[in-house]
Amino acid sequence: MIPGAVFIAAAGIVSPLGKGLAATEAALRDNRSGISPLEVFPLLHGTPLPVGQIADSESTLWPPRTHRLAREAARMALAACPEPPDAIVLGCTTGGILTTEQLLRTDERNQQAYRYHGLGSVAEDLAEYCGCTGPALTVSTACSSGAVAIALALNLLRSGRMRRILAGGVDSLSRLTYFGFHSLQLVDRNGCRPLDVSRQGLAVAEGAGLLLLTAERPDTPLAVLLGAGLSCDAHHPTAPHPEGQGALLAMKAALEDAGLLPAAVDYINLHGTGTPDNDLAEAKAIVSLFSTPPPLSSIKGATGHSLAASGGIEAVVSALAVSRDFVPGTTGCGQPDPALQLTPQMACSSQPVATVLSNSFGFGGNNGCLLIGKSGSTLPAAKKEKGDLLAIHGCACLSGAGLKQATLAQLRLGKPVAGMLASDQLAHHLPPKLVRRLKRLSRLALLLASAAHADTGGKAPPAAIFMGTGWGALSETWDFLHRLTESGEQFPSPTDFVGSVHNGPASQVALFFKATGANVTASGGDYSFEQAVLTAQTLLAETGQSALLLGADEGHEPFSRLLDPSIDSGPLADGGGALYVNREPQGARCLMRLLFYGRGNEAELPDRLIAALDGAATMRHTYAAVLAGVPAAKDAQGNGQLDALLARINPDLPVCRYRQWTGEFASASAMAAVMAVSCIESGCVPGTLTGGGDIQLQPAERLLVLGTGPCLTAMEFFRP
Amino acid sequence: MKGEQHMNELIEELKGKLIDLLNLTDVTPAQFDADARLVGGELGIDSIDVLEMVVMVEKDYGVVINSQEVGEKVFASLTSLADFIRTNAPGKAV
Repeated sequence: MIPGAVFIAAAGIVSPLGKGLAATEAALRDNRSGISPLEVFPLLHGTPLPVGQIADSESTLWPPRTHRLAREAARMALAACPEPPDAIVLGCTTGGILTTEQLLRTDERNQQAYRYHGLGSVAEDLAEYCGCTGPALTVSTACSSGAVAIALALNLLRSGRMRRILAGGVDSLSRLTYFGFHSLQLVDRNGCRPLDVSRQGLAVAEGAGLLLLTAERPDTPLAVLLGAGLSCDAHHPTAPHPEGQGALLAMKAALEDAGLLPAAVDYINLHGTGTPDNDLAEAKAIVSLFSTPPPLSSIKGATGHSLAASGGIEAVVSALAVSRDFVPGTTGCGQPDPALQLTPQMACSSQPVATVLSNSFGFGGNNGCLLIGKSGSTLPAAKKEKGDLLAIHGCACLSGAGLKQATLAQLRLGKPVAGMLASDQLAHHLPPKLVRRLKRLSRLALLLASAAHADTGGKAPPAAIFMGTGWGALSETWDFLHRLTESGEQFPSPTDFVGSVHNGPASQVALFFKATGANVTASGGDYSFEQAVLTAQTLLAETGQSALLLGADEGHEPFSRLLDPSIDSGPLADGGGALYVNREPQGARCLMRLLFYGRGNEAELPDRLIAALDGAATMRHTYAAVLAGVPAAKDAQGNGQLDALLARINPDLPVCRYRQWTGEFASASAMAAVMAVSCIESGCVPGTLTGGGDIQLQPAERLLVLGTGPCLTAMEFFRP
Repeated sequence: MKGEQHMNELIEELKGKLIDLLNLTDVTPAQFDADARLVGGELGIDSIDVLEMVVMVEKDYGVVINSQEVGEKVFASLTSLADFIRTNAPGKAV
């Protein structure tokens, strides 16, 4: 049995209301708004819209603003307990985009200048900063990222394999989000007025909110994280389900997770963005779940909507509410909208608060709800431990050669499959109405997902979606920024903005399957698929639920070359792999799990991996071959790690350096996973891949898929 | 009549623009019924497309659609959109 709840040992917060817990509490008690006209970057014309911005005297390009905000919150959260956390789980949607926007405007071609672009670079930066040697995971589910990151951290701690995790969200203001939300007509020119009868939208904001979560009770915990619930609307790329179905599912899931009834909640921290649609849908969900809703409010009229940071910031505020006994007001709301049938808390009030429900909803209908309780509250019952095995019942991959059959046939002939499948060939497989608004990455994801499901031979559609992508939707991001600049900031494309979010492709997959379970996109450079695997094995239900687990990246000229240091001047490659997984080994094609994900302290990494896999002697008997991911930009480091491992396990162990065959792209390991599944199924590793004879696999023999470079990862694949 | 001719030309022009803008690859201008329901109809056009059309109308015709009420009337059909552009285009004698 494992603990149901974890402790919030400390917290860090940077928001337009101020820095630190005391400043935040004071601003909330004063009902002060931190929203003001945009100053972070200059506009070519027009009146600056109201935003929530942080006073930041630095304006350097490196590290970017998002990274600086994250560091500041991390410094606060770790101030009292500097021992490095076992993992970092960070929600983020902007990464280094504000810096990238500047660089693109000056047509910067030096790849080094873009090194902080990736979302994963923020969590990696924090890991460096605090000396974390475990996984630094990045969750990108748009405006619910921070809450979903905390939900993932909760379940990682429950797995018993970790003791302390730094989790939350961060985002900086950027042109992408400022003009993007404006192009969707979701910004209120008069500032944000959640739940108000005349509300017209949100105020885009920035900030960071981080929790130090611990499995063991610290001396003076700030609060307790009692449970979390995730869901997906599977309704529309941006609009919430009109009846709040997804919101309701997530709130119910959180209550069930914590073993609480709705009546136990005595404050609801609303998502409450101030857009007409969100507030109405959320209100409907609350009215249907709570016969008499407890006090509730939205703080976004004070902080603005800091996107991925908001879930983290509001988790910190919820922890403050239970530890300091107050309910924040709904700053900005003058006259509550009678259509909502709710009575919001208008001004901050001191009153006992034992349990808070905090809502975060995002584009793509990706929802996350957290339950936070007083440190003295009764803890939920212990839970049954989850296994980490994923049973694979179907799979698909996509390479320059085409789908799985074509890809594997070409590999068996010893020919690389690196390349990009032509757009018209991609479109050929997908109905025009379904994909007319989607660019390359979403199309790749849909094709992979539908092919993996078809490969199961008629199993039920997946309920949950877990996706890894190193760079997200490059076409939409590039096109949005290009048109923004080209039109003198006048005509940004709403369609491209919607498509640019990292979780866009996984949301499309959810729409396609009507998958209303958890929907999580992870982004961690060359380890993005591994992050999605870890997320899936941590979050997927033990029974009754199947998931689609995929990794994909698109090649984009010229964006990919600017961002991915492993890409040289040769032709681009892209694609990925998808697995239909559940916890049911009966009838499965193959079983898999991620066994190790480490970073930092280079010299110790190979030994740590070997220890995690039960030692060199066991590994020697267990593994028949290795598929190794050695990114070109890290080949010296990666090959060094590989040599060190082989020297200890078995110098003659056959190795396939799979990027030689798949080409260089961040989620190439997803394709390698499908190669491994196919080898396990056929009982043979083609000699063409390892540069020797065909390897016939004994029934008990397993395959290892390694990721090398700044992180070292190990996934194993074996017969059921 | 000259006005009617202009109107027909504008409708044909808009058909091409919308097919291109909204990537309606399975629709030809001939199949595009100018009087059929534009949003929420068979073409699958939704709120995001409406916003994209708002931007196009402003960029290409200098006509601003700045409220949801106006938008709902304007985007009822291709004919109503053409009519609104013709009536409101700056500096165009119609």
